[in-house]
Amino acid sequence: MPGPYGWLFDPRLCIECRACEAACKQWNSVPVGVNVRYRVVRIREYGSWPNVSTVPVSSACNHCENALCARACPVKAYVRRADGIVLLDSSRCVGCGFCDQFCPYGAPQMNRRSRRMEKCTMCADRIDRGLQPACASICPTGALTWGEWEKIRDRGVASISGDPTPNTTRPRIRYVHAP
Amino acid sequence: MRSTRRDWLRMAGGAGLASLQSRLLAGFEDWFQPATTAPDEQVLITACGICDSACGIRATVKDGVVRFLEGLPDDFQGQGKLCGKGAAGAGFLYDPDRLKYPMKRTNPRKGLNEDPGFIRISWQEALDTIADRIKFYTARFGAESLLFITRPRPDLWVRFMKALGVVNRVDHRDECYQTDIVVQKYTTGGKSWCNDFENSRYLLLFGFDMLTKTKLVHSHGILAAKERGAKIVFFSPHYNTTARIADEWYPIRPGSDLAVALAMIHVIVTENLFNQEFVDQFTNFRQYEKEIRAHFAQYTPEWAEGLSDVPAEAIRRIAREFATQGPGIVPLHKKSLAANYMNATQLAHAISILNILAGTVDRPGGRYFPRTVPIPGVDAIYPPPAYPKPVGRRVDGTDKLPLVREVDSGSFSTLADGMLKKYPGMIKFAFFNMYTVLGFPLPAQMEEALKTVEFTVVMDTLPTDTALLADIVLPSITYLEASDLVPREYNAKKPQVVVRQPVVAPMFEAKSIGWVAIELGKRVVPDYFRTPSGDWINPAALLDEKVKRAGLGSSFAEFKSVGIYTKEQPFTPRTTFATPSGKCQIYVPEFAAKGYDPLPVWKPKAEQPSAEYPYYYLTFIPAIHRRNSTQNNPILHEMMPTNAAIISRTLAERLGIREGQMVRIRSRVGTIELPAHITETLRPDCVMVAHGFGHRSRLLSLAAGKGVRDSDVIPSRTVEEFVAAGNFGGAACIMDAVVNIEPL
Repeated sequence: MPGPYGWLFDPRLCIECRACEAACKQWNSVPVGVNVRYRVVRIREYGSWPNVSTVPVSSACNHCENALCARACPVKAYVRRADGIVLLDSSRCVGCGFCDQFCPYGAPQMNRRSRRMEKCTMCADRIDRGLQPACASICPTGALTWGEWEKIRDRGVASISGDPTPNTTRPRIRYVHAP
Repeated sequence: MRSTRRDWLRMAGGAGLASLQSRLLAGFEDWFQPATTAPDEQVLITACGICDSACGIRATVKDGVVRFLEGLPDDFQGQGKLCGKGAAGAGFLYDPDRLKYPMKRTNPRKGLNEDPGFIRISWQEALDTIADRIKFYTARFGAESLLFITRPRPDLWVRFMKALGVVNRVDHRDECYQTDIVVQKYTTGGKSWCNDFENSRYLLLFGFDMLTKTKLVHSHGILAAKERGAKIVFFSPHYNTTARIADEWYPIRPGSDLAVALAMIHVIVTENLFNQEFVDQFTNFRQYEKEIRAHFAQYTPEWAEGLSDVPAEAIRRIAREFATQGPGIVPLHKKSLAANYMNATQLAHAISILNILAGTVDRPGGRYFPRTVPIPGVDAIYPPPAYPKPVGRRVDGTDKLPLVREVDSGSFSTLADGMLKKYPGMIKFAFFNMYTVLGFPLPAQMEEALKTVEFTVVMDTLPTDTALLADIVLPSITYLEASDLVPREYNAKKPQVVVRQPVVAPMFEAKSIGWVAIELGKRVVPDYFRTPSGDWINPAALLDEKVKRAGLGSSFAEFKSVGIYTKEQPFTPRTTFATPSGKCQIYVPEFAAKGYDPLPVWKPKAEQPSAEYPYYYLTFIPAIHRRNSTQNNPILHEMMPTNAAIISRTLAERLGIREGQMVRIRSRVGTIELPAHITETLRPDCVMVAHGFGHRSRLLSLAAGKGVRDSDVIPSRTVEEFVAAGNFGGAACIMDAVVNIEPL
């Protein structure tokens, strides 16, 4: 499967168990306690009591088609693989934080200890071994899935209420059943 | 027998979810495969040990280190998946704060502000000391002077306690599902965790957040039911994940679920909407019809509306739909509202009656009993000498709750009362096995109670608050280092067993409680720890024997390599039930004989909002934590390091509280101070705080000092209160508190 790849998220099926977050940390050995979380589940609230609703959103780097993070980086620490995955070589990072300022999703994050940025790799190492990214592979309900962008791009909608506009960066995520 | 994922997809148990997933994953099919492994990696099958549902795990181990944990595809319970806690499991194994070897205290002064002055000792010294103490106190003060705070497992540990004639063994079930055990024994013939949600058409959910905050197996089932078009109705003062998934959600007044359940029975009985065939054949309805009809006549939906804020017409309509558009199911689960109010025993009974009237007990779409492979315990394999009859006083007072004693349960909520007031000084020796004082209502009181104990042993994986009060601490292995056979008991239409095996060798000097039982047994009650040939019981040989007798293979080593066993057999619904009459009992004559209500009676929760304490106090367990045992796991800690006072925007505005502002919550027994979190998802007359935080042990480098103990404002109880309130199932009343809240 040559890529590019993308995420498909269905908030209706998300049970807020946050296995995606935990599996991400575990597989990628993401350091804890340094303010770096490649994937985060957040719950958005709408309306007011008792006419209230919530939408859980599991978000990580969307490996945008137009990756502003990579364009903003003054030391070219970002590379895009042939399969579209946007990778950050932290060893080249100088910690200026421009990528963070340009990313609308908060994907690149400053490791408080190393003072360098880190970011979701879409588990490129797993993909190279024929595995799904850790988050999508563990999601108990199929709320978060991953696959070829070709098969995802026309499903659901490009953004849900509260998201930044997808028109500029063209993120590789779609939402099924957006509220 | 090993089955492939595709076989599993066809099985009834997971069919709903499977079809859902396969539909969603159309196009990704080729990627949805078991993991491939690199040459230096090893994949081992084991069972999770964070919660009792014990999902099957595929553990990838690289160079002797756990690399990744994921679900075991053929497992009925996890259904190939893990939750957030399960995925973070390696964080328990590699927690740098773990207890590594036995230690003893050198500072005789006990208290959380005292340095215990722990020094390392050998297992030999630890076991010899503990054995001497047990022998000394038993001889001098009788078995009643020993307190074991532990669950009744594994079998070797139970044998040790029985051989000692232990009177006082207590565990936390009164805060969980104890009322359901007590009641179901007489209504349907036993507590069951199995809910056939996926074949149900109508789910009535009372209480907290079943979808997120309990077990993955239930989430799978509820989502599968939803996908198949079942209707889901949910009563909860909090809009949470389950409310979001439900077709109808009612922000019910805390503690009034019982009124709604009684009114639903009223509608179903007066309108004769129950499942006639089932009720006539398999229940005692006809025998007690007059009493039943007369009793429930008073509980009209209009009456219930006044207590619950659920509209009468909704109660009436839902009752009719539930009875006629079935199969309908009403699950009851731990940490639900049902389990934790003073009226929880009555609610467990009412819920059981709803299931009986729906005719779905042990039927498709209902609560059913697990079909399991009988795995013999140590007593079946090596029959023990006769156990002594336990003689002595129950320190938690549950001798006044005979039905609780019958199911070998106890009471966390009344333990401090017994230790400090009723029988001060009676307990000389306490052994905590994987419990801390955080699990008790009013933990400070429990700490005081512990200080009255002469000798305390704590066995745990971590240096908990309770460990700091111990005279000896023993390092326990985690579930990832343990060996066991784990039958499926939460989704078990046919028998299945998953292995639990060490995915890495036990670290440091950590040992299992079973091993401790044998070693203490050899020293204290040696006759109970010999095989018929006179050798000491060997845990490995015992496990081999269990594997053989259960038909799982020729040895544990062999079963480890297979990992999972499923027995093909059809699901045959029960026609007799394990109650005294052999029928499902709506009216329970055995309750009447004990002087209890034979039919559930409306009782209010123990404490009502007042001018001084105007708000309901609710506690919950967050999705990513398990009770008070996971807050030091590095991954889970980072995801949720602390707790907050969750209040509604309406209430915040009325009291002038801003997001993040410190607030003081005060009940009649205590005060906590913590930041506020403002939401639109909670009733304005409630304050909600997550359980499990507020660890004080400085040896927990992450969890120490983070958040507050929700239970510092929850009153402990006396057994007399339970008796007076008809709480004969001994619900701990941890949701009964009312509080005041003010900005700081």
